[in-house]
Amino acid sequence: MSDDRKKGDAPVNGVNHSASDSDRGNGDGPELGVSRRDFLKGASVAVAGSMIGGGLLMKGVPAIAAPESKTVNIGFIEDLSGNLAVYGLQKYHAAQLAVAEINQGLTLAGGPVGVGGFASTGSQAGEPPKVRLDTASGEVKVAEQGGGDATSGILYGEDDEILVPSGEKGLLGKEVELTAPDGQSNNRLWQQLARKLIQQDKVDVLVAGFSSAEREAIRPIIDRNKQLYFYTNQYEGGVADEFTFCTGAVCEQQVIPVVQYMVENYGPRGFTIAADYNFGQLTAAWVRAYTPLVGGEIVGEEFVPLSVSQFSQVISKVQAAKPDWVMTLLVGQNQSNYYPQAAAAGLEFPMASTINMAQGYEHLRFNKPSLARMHNAINYMPEIPTARNRAFVKRFFEMFPEDPYLGQMAQNTYFSIHLYAKAARLAGTTDQDAVRRVLESGWTIEAPEGPVFLEPGTHHASHYIRMARADENHDISFVRDWPTVEAWWLQRLGVNLVGRPEHKQYTPQEDKFFPMLQKMAAK
Amino acid sequence: MFKRLQIEDYLVALLWIGVAVYGSVINDYAASSTAYYILNVPMALGLAMLWGISGVLSFGQVAFFGLAGYTYGIVAGNLLSSPGLAAVAGIAGGLAAALVLAVAFGYFIFYGRVEAWIVPIVTLVMTLILATFMGQTAGYEWKVGEVLLGGYNGMTNIPPMNVFGSDLFGRALFYYVLIAVVIAWLAVVLCVRSRFGDVLIALREDPLRTELFGHDVRLMQLLCFSVAALLAGLSGVLYVQWGNYITPDSMGLLQATLPVVWVAVGARTSLLGVTVATVALNVLSFRLSSSGNQYAFVILGALLVVAMVVPTMGWAQRLSGLVGRRG
Amino acid sequence: MDGVLSVLYQFGTNAAFLLLSAIGLIVILGMMNIINLAHGELMMIGAYVASSLYHSGVPFAACVVVSFFAVALVGVALERVLIRRFYGRELQALVVTWGVSLILAQGALLAFGPFLASIPIPFGSGTVGTFSFSWYWIALIVLALLLVAGLWFLYYRTAFGLRARATMQEREMAQALGVKTGRVYMLTFALGSGLAGLAGALMAPTTTIAPYMGQQYVAPAFITVVTGGSANVIAGALGSTGFLSLAETPFTIWFGTFIGIVAMLLASLVLIRLLPKGLSEWIQRRWLS
Repeated sequence: MSDDRKKGDAPVNGVNHSASDSDRGNGDGPELGVSRRDFLKGASVAVAGSMIGGGLLMKGVPAIAAPESKTVNIGFIEDLSGNLAVYGLQKYHAAQLAVAEINQGLTLAGGPVGVGGFASTGSQAGEPPKVRLDTASGEVKVAEQGGGDATSGILYGEDDEILVPSGEKGLLGKEVELTAPDGQSNNRLWQQLARKLIQQDKVDVLVAGFSSAEREAIRPIIDRNKQLYFYTNQYEGGVADEFTFCTGAVCEQQVIPVVQYMVENYGPRGFTIAADYNFGQLTAAWVRAYTPLVGGEIVGEEFVPLSVSQFSQVISKVQAAKPDWVMTLLVGQNQSNYYPQAAAAGLEFPMASTINMAQGYEHLRFNKPSLARMHNAINYMPEIPTARNRAFVKRFFEMFPEDPYLGQMAQNTYFSIHLYAKAARLAGTTDQDAVRRVLESGWTIEAPEGPVFLEPGTHHASHYIRMARADENHDISFVRDWPTVEAWWLQRLGVNLVGRPEHKQYTPQEDKFFPMLQKMAAK
Repeated sequence: MFKRLQIEDYLVALLWIGVAVYGSVINDYAASSTAYYILNVPMALGLAMLWGISGVLSFGQVAFFGLAGYTYGIVAGNLLSSPGLAAVAGIAGGLAAALVLAVAFGYFIFYGRVEAWIVPIVTLVMTLILATFMGQTAGYEWKVGEVLLGGYNGMTNIPPMNVFGSDLFGRALFYYVLIAVVIAWLAVVLCVRSRFGDVLIALREDPLRTELFGHDVRLMQLLCFSVAALLAGLSGVLYVQWGNYITPDSMGLLQATLPVVWVAVGARTSLLGVTVATVALNVLSFRLSSSGNQYAFVILGALLVVAMVVPTMGWAQRLSGLVGRRG
Repeated sequence: MDGVLSVLYQFGTNAAFLLLSAIGLIVILGMMNIINLAHGELMMIGAYVASSLYHSGVPFAACVVVSFFAVALVGVALERVLIRRFYGRELQALVVTWGVSLILAQGALLAFGPFLASIPIPFGSGTVGTFSFSWYWIALIVLALLLVAGLWFLYYRTAFGLRARATMQEREMAQALGVKTGRVYMLTFALGSGLAGLAGALMAPTTTIAPYMGQQYVAPAFITVVTGGSANVIAGALGSTGFLSLAETPFTIWFGTFIGIVAMLLASLVLIRLLPKGLSEWIQRRWLS
């Protein structure tokens, strides 16, 4: 089979969204991917097929010799100390869980389904249950039973059990090992650590980064060394990088659902409070651009430097603007003080966000009812009351009973590491170039949130987005689902990393669509 | 000139020769990390001169570091078509920016005769203003020529050092950094072991008496402040040439305190001590963090406390009295 | 009317935030000349004590009082073991206290995890017309003023205050006159630490109780004390909080939070340039003498 990767071959009908039950299953799903995409230089379909179908993993490696090491080394940098440790530790623990499962011979269901992915429609339950996370037992408890019929059906049923045998303990006959230094919440250190992991420890894959600043600090080093890299955080979007896979949700996946929901349910007038740096400014730009499209308007914006922790003036501004709802894009420990302070000042506007609760678990940390009426379009929160997620949460808190929460970026890290292992297993090698090409064959993986599709051209993932709402007791209900929301913005800009490698981050200012929307808003 | 040199100056010279030899036997990765450890030395030496020798403590060295780094990025990033010129112009621009800020701010504090104990705080304020400002410069309105300032995420793709048409990485970069650091060290030795250095020491001991001897105290302090800023700027330029990247975080509270710590642990007045302490503490904190050790900060903190407390204890003083002159 | 009240409230909360951030440092930096970089961590310990007690059923007011004494004890320990070695050597003290702050903050993370349970903000909210506000912040404004008044009374109207001021100004002379200066230093440091702890406990309901929470107070505290100057630290701190809040509040209203902060920082720089000895010297010259 010739290398037709660059010709942009047409996708075959992507029918197999739920993929096979295990990597050693009947081979249908994976084989579709293999036959369509020649990711192994010179490897034949037959070899690839036998690798998967027969589980002859070690025999299927002749094309590319594996490195000498006895282990598969996953480089993993997060902040285990310093200001950002609260997030870094969650991610670190999720990574440890994934590695432990791989070494026990387990994997997440899923496989390559083709470049087109899958499509589905949303559902809306009549009255969803209210749930609450009990970290002591690792259980998601139902605080109040919902009821009523869903107003539209989910297109496909979810598998309850997503953790399936992989057919081998470890990966490619080797034990998987996590090399996890501490980034200490210090960007300058991050560069050194990335260099060490890549150049000295020669890790097979790098999974790293909480803040965008950390990612941008190490991305030049990654590009120069052609290092396979996963960035698992939810972020502002726009990274188009040949070697980087962004598995977290991005602005278009979260902002549009949440803005639409707020305008439909609470009224047209929104007020944005955002952290005054890249993430906050860009997400606020998305909010500003899309609110008019669903019939709303942004009546005021306030940007707050990251060091600010005292919000009385911001609160007064919101009061004066009298919005129907408030978009809070606040980041970090200092800024989360907004919630109790706003509640104490008597602010009762419904709130919307794309980050809060799902990362820093403000609803568990702050006293009730500071977070009442908070809405967040998330791809993951541990409260999601599906069977597959309950099982995942249980596994996590069994391994880390002391942990306070399991946030969205921890879940992303978890499935990303599983995804890497599956791709390497299919490639039959840990050769980074080969694994990267396998990853570019259109994978669906059954994550705790739901199915996630890794889009080859942009290296971004579609997500199962849910609207989480906190009530006065800080119990969570998921009031609306969007089972597949794609990260379409880079596609719109014409990014195709498979055909045309790039190494940059796009911002909305490069998209003519945005000024146009703002003009419409002005009218 | 040579008469005024002290034993420790020869020791530092030996140290540099050792580093140069070491650089020839290690691999590219080790050379590049060694380059990082030593590129902080000029900033530390500048602060040693400012604080140890002339008695003015500044928390603002990272402001000069950051400003020079950013300026290098802007200048070099706009001259991408001729990389050699870009690097040279970038270095000149970076150092000039640091100098201009130092003269302006130094004039402000020294000619205003601000009290000595306030200087560290006002320099810290200056640094935080700069960091907060840079943090919100995301977006296209913050574009200088072709270069985006990049906000909190930082400025990316800063061109590396380029000599005769080839970019410097790995070992070549290491030797370039080493040469620059040695030149900076020579400049400091020249300042400190001269009449200018004597005046600085006099200033530290008794500013009033120094003034009565006919020295312009304010000018001397401003000069010393400017030289220290230039050295910090050099470190900043070397840093962006090494990492091709800079964020406002390098002017944050934590980073602002680090040079002070290096110099304090290195006994402030000793150029040898400061050089060794800077390199050693950088190596140590990297070792601690790369082992994923959450106790890194605790160990670093304890080390500082011990380094400061031990000299105040009787037995340590007696010991150093036996070994030789107390620094 | 609502508008005026709202602006006054914003001014008051900004000033109270600065004053409470600085209250412990007023004593330790302003009087003892110890550049205490662990100031934020002392406030953090105060908040930790308050949170732990509150969640074991102690009323909040009692938590605040206990925090004062608990952190004062921490202060005594710090002073006896470390700080006493560095009187008159401000710069060494600075490095030591920075080391201490690293140990305390990361130690808290290792010992207690990333967050402690928060404390609900007491008293609820009030409303005037369309303007609603938090009664607790009103209480904080009043308490901050009371604390400063108490500090003034202690230092200018009691025998301890006299001895303390004598010790700080002329240590040897005070010693010669029979003042136990070692004890005075210890008690002063304990008082400063205790006040930091108290302020930390008072602020605890409004903030995330976390190991690195102290960082947010360090810069405002130092700027407040430095702008105030050392001629009369109490009058200085009061003047500088008013002055800085006066610079910050309107700029935040007109141009946003970032410009507000920059305005405040620039105002402090300009003031130090014009009045190198700080605001207090000017106040003293103008009104107090």
